[in-house]
Amino acid sequence: MATKKITIKIDGRETEVIKDSFLLGVLRDNGVAVPTLCHHKDLTPQGTCRLCVVEIEQNGKKKLVTSCNFPIRGEISVDTTSERVKKHRKTLAEMYLGRWPKVPIIQEIAAICGATDKDKYKSELTDENEKACILCGHCVHACEEFVMEKILDFAGRGIKRHMTMPFGEVDPHCIGCTSCAYVCPTGAIEIVDDMNGPHDAKLIRDYGMKINAEMATLDKSQCRMREVGTANIVDVMDAYDLLPVHNYKFGQHVDTPNIDSKMLKAKYVTQGLPDGCWKGCSMACAKTVDGFELKTGPYKGSKVTVDGPEYETAAAAANMGCFDGDFLMEYNFYCDTYGVDTISVGTCMAFVMECFENGLIDKEVTGGKELKFGATAEVLQCLHEMALGEGFGVDVGMGIRYLKGKWARELGADADFMQDIGMEVKGLEYSEYVCKESLAQQAGYTMAVKGPQHDEAWLIFMDMVNNQIPSFDDKAEALYYYPLWRTWFGLNGLCKLIWNDVVPATNKNFPPQQAAKVPEHVEDFFKFFEGMTGEPLDEEKMLDQSARVHNLQRVMSRMLGYGTRKDDMPPYRAVGPVTGEEYESRAEKLYDKQMKEIIGIDPTGKSTEEKMEITRKHRVEQYNKVVDAAYDRRGWTRNGVPKIERLKELGIDLPELVEIIKDDQE
Amino acid sequence: MITVNNRDRLEWREGMTVQDLLDEMGYDYVLITVTVNEILIPEEDYDSYELESGSNVVVFHLAHGG
Ligand code: SF4
Ligand code: SF4
Ligand code: FES
Repeated sequence: MATKKITIKIDGRETEVIKDSFLLGVLRDNGVAVPTLCHHKDLTPQGTCRLCVVEIEQNGKKKLVTSCNFPIRGEISVDTTSERVKKHRKTLAEMYLGRWPKVPIIQEIAAICGATDKDKYKSELTDENEKACILCGHCVHACEEFVMEKILDFAGRGIKRHMTMPFGEVDPHCIGCTSCAYVCPTGAIEIVDDMNGPHDAKLIRDYGMKINAEMATLDKSQCRMREVGTANIVDVMDAYDLLPVHNYKFGQHVDTPNIDSKMLKAKYVTQGLPDGCWKGCSMACAKTVDGFELKTGPYKGSKVTVDGPEYETAAAAANMGCFDGDFLMEYNFYCDTYGVDTISVGTCMAFVMECFENGLIDKEVTGGKELKFGATAEVLQCLHEMALGEGFGVDVGMGIRYLKGKWARELGADADFMQDIGMEVKGLEYSEYVCKESLAQQAGYTMAVKGPQHDEAWLIFMDMVNNQIPSFDDKAEALYYYPLWRTWFGLNGLCKLIWNDVVPATNKNFPPQQAAKVPEHVEDFFKFFEGMTGEPLDEEKMLDQSARVHNLQRVMSRMLGYGTRKDDMPPYRAVGPVTGEEYESRAEKLYDKQMKEIIGIDPTGKSTEEKMEITRKHRVEQYNKVVDAAYDRRGWTRNGVPKIERLKELGIDLPELVEIIKDDQE
Repeated sequence: MITVNNRDRLEWREGMTVQDLLDEMGYDYVLITVTVNEILIPEEDYDSYELESGSNVVVFHLAHGG
């Protein structure tokens, strides 16, 4: 049963089409030439020039329709060359030719439509300029749809209609994105600036424009970055059992809809405006909540604007078990206002909560606060204390590593358990993804130079869901390429989001291993580099540029007393189930199955404790193997220190660097 | 039996479409590509393409975010 397809007839030939597609695209896919003037592939169809008319027959009735904005909903028969069609097109083309006789695109259209008489519609309006504005409207729509601005518009009516900026003056709101010039078919709009003296401004513009067009046409059906920003990821992570809940114990929760993107959009995000990090970003994924009334803290009672929330902030709320939209806004606002990171605070609070629920700490320690999962008011209290420098909040502000030490020393709290559940590596709190079912991501987190942040590598889908990098070598390769590729964005001051938060429609045609890299976008970034510096770039050169910095960072870590294998060791919560409750929640679906099929031990009749121990032993071994493979691929020793040969290869074997690592060589 | 992503196994039944498989696996992500025995299946065919028993289906999720 083909529900999304219908059969239509084009000039007598039957063809199957996808319901709701616009007729023009279908005609062109079927090799039918159709003249158009107001149509642009990256813009919403306008239906104003009427050149694209065809005659359709539906339910026995014939009529002319503009094919560019005619959605196919039922069975129709299309005639693209009927006398009516030809006559209609010819008359229009003659009129256009009479008005703009020297504009090449008009001449082309006239030739296609058989309009030869230049003088038939000659009048005082005739404009002999080759680059005349033909009022096609592309620029107006590009300004709106590519960059969500409304700088350009038509003014005047009838024959006096012309394209202009408001009141005919240069509008200071114009961001100079050049989208209007890019789509203009006649060259009526010219770009004159080349700020920052790039080597080849046009190259940068052309490739940038491709991405602007993708944002305008594809984002709404892909990641909805323009509509809800990164908050869309909350919905995805919950659906895939990856949203951290209760200090990363679980991956989803029944109350997630209280903080997901649908709720944020319906109840909070107020401005339907572009809100980019810089004016001119066509993704503009930052979102804003206006008029939110605070219920706590120094600004209690004030109505404020909240910048966000981003995925990580909403996920941090889930991690603390605080599935409450108002809490999320207040938490986001105060973290921003106090200048603390929503991720570190959230992950640290989640740890505190689990310690509290397990009796490792009590109300005496927390200053009377009942810090159980979901304790929204208490989290905010802690946050205010942290900022004011008083009470228990001060300790929380010191982070998990500090708390583990202090509570073991002063309270005799179970150090091993705290080590297992305290989600930090190198002293930095984990960002908000559950990685225990993805071996590659476990290492992606721990091996990141700055600590467990996913901006060096996010491999969960490739590894856990797609099973695309099954062997240790595959994982090591991913742990080589992605951190270097992502480091490269930082080196060049380029945003990562346009790399894979919108992808070209053709990305689907690549085999998975390549598709994951989004090859067309990698190429776009290489062109940005070339346009700016004049130096062409390829994958090898890019990887080398990054590897120099990445290795330098690792050597610096070593200098600071980190940067060896022990610093790349995760808490067990990041690798597998620490508690019986956690094990049982995925026992049937995952852990028991893995034990039988992968470890080769029959779980029947074994207690949860026994099974947890077997799983743990296996997982820790696997983790160490993946780290070995990744170190090898990176040219590091078994202890995770760059080999001197590797520094030589990269041309950074400076004596002062070699000095730091020489005793670590194998 | 149907193999998904060279790992998971799913019971095959008569008339099972790609969409049925995605529903059963809970794969509702937007940036996915599906191949059946290495043939790329266009999105508009998900609810009409019928799987044969023994098919090898790869559902590739492209990462975004982060
Ligand atoms: S340069 Fe960009 S913002 Fe300015 S008018 Fe053109 S499209 Fe609009
Ligand atoms: S300036 Fe160019 S894009 Fe804008 S209406 Fe005129 S011809 Fe069309
Ligand atoms: S292309 Fe102008 S009306 Fe269709």
